[in-house]
Amino acid sequence: MEYFEPKSIGDALSLLSKHGTEAKVIAGGTDVMVDIKFKEEPGCLVNIKKIPSLAGISESGGALRIGALTTIREIETNALVREKLPVLWDASRQFASLQVRNTATIGGNICRASPSGETLTPLLVLEANAVLAFSDGERSEPFLSFFQGPGKCAAGVKGLLTEIEIPIPPASSKGVYLKHAVRGAMDIAMVGVAVMLTPDAGKSNVQDVRIGLGAVGPTPLRAPKTEALLKGKPLTAALVKEAGALAASEASPITDQRSSAENRRWIVEALTRRGLEQTWKAATGKEVA
Amino acid sequence: MSVMINTTINGQAVSASCEASTSLLEFLRDTLEMKGSKLCCNTGECGACTVIYNGKPINACVTLAADANGAKITTIEGLADGDKLHPVQQAFIDTGAVQCGYCTPGYIMSVKALLDRTKKPTQADIEEAVSGNICRCTGYNKIVDAIHLAASKL
Repeated sequence: MEYFEPKSIGDALSLLSKHGTEAKVIAGGTDVMVDIKFKEEPGCLVNIKKIPSLAGISESGGALRIGALTTIREIETNALVREKLPVLWDASRQFASLQVRNTATIGGNICRASPSGETLTPLLVLEANAVLAFSDGERSEPFLSFFQGPGKCAAGVKGLLTEIEIPIPPASSKGVYLKHAVRGAMDIAMVGVAVMLTPDAGKSNVQDVRIGLGAVGPTPLRAPKTEALLKGKPLTAALVKEAGALAASEASPITDQRSSAENRRWIVEALTRRGLEQTWKAATGKEVA
Repeated sequence: MSVMINTTINGQAVSASCEASTSLLEFLRDTLEMKGSKLCCNTGECGACTVIYNGKPINACVTLAADANGAKITTIEGLADGDKLHPVQQAFIDTGAVQCGYCTPGYIMSVKALLDRTKKPTQADIEEAVSGNICRCTGYNKIVDAIHLAASKL
């Protein structure tokens, strides 16, 4: 196995162009090392950890920008993230174990493109963008179209995710990430649901709501029919119940060792209801009645 | 292809080469013959290989050995001062928090990192700190007792 530590994005892209499908990018290593030990070694490993411009969290132009090499622990302990992006903070603190959070990067979690990836549904509901570098230039890709299937994303084999650009939601908006798993830490989610809700100025109706569903389809999903059902209405108990059932119908889960498809739909229903109740209360100060 | 690793382990400068695909755990155990950090799941799920990397607990099994270059690493072998055990090690013995013992070095490194971060950990801090460590003998209550005892002595 060949091994490289490029010092710049340009050097990394040259290596990816030259080695094509033989090349594997490694950052934290928490997924890639397992593949190396249990599946097969790539022909060439490109360690991007030494590229200084890929780390850090900053705020500019109404957006938070998170470098691809930022660790999950750095996100979890960052005051800006906690204050402005609670749905992402909530997911980062439920991510694996402390040891893994200290090493795993957000760029790695995204490019792994696992439908259960903890940070993915929060990025869908935040309507964030992936900043991708290619040898012929840079482009921004919304996460809504970034994920193409398990392990497949818009970065492809020759691109590099450099930064995540997240528009900061209005202060009145509230978000939660709810995860269902057997073991509190470490377990891969059976289902993850991200909910972000913004009430209208009078705090009497849902102005905007976004629902992200994880581990219930080939990619993380939004639930557009459920969102449309809720917009412009006061959040009543009957509406929450209807929304939960609709969200379950929008999921397309499979049966695997972690859960049956049927069980996953029930959990989507329960977590969607719970997410709506929690965000409504946080945003309006009122219980769903 | 082989890579050269220049790192600091338990305060000692170490230089050795290994295959590029070597994990930090394999580097410690097989290249350096330091067998204190345990190989168990090898997937980053059980915490038996926990070491402290630049002040933070990490799983050595899913860390590339090459990432040790320029880093400061503390392993279980670096805790005792001669024959005098570290207070966390002594607390595990005094409370009977060791059964088969295979998970113990990993737990002790997670707890050492916790007590380096905070002198007075809450129950929630403790649960977070060791949530990535598994004890298959299931002796969790005694381990939590040991952590409280160690915190009271530091």
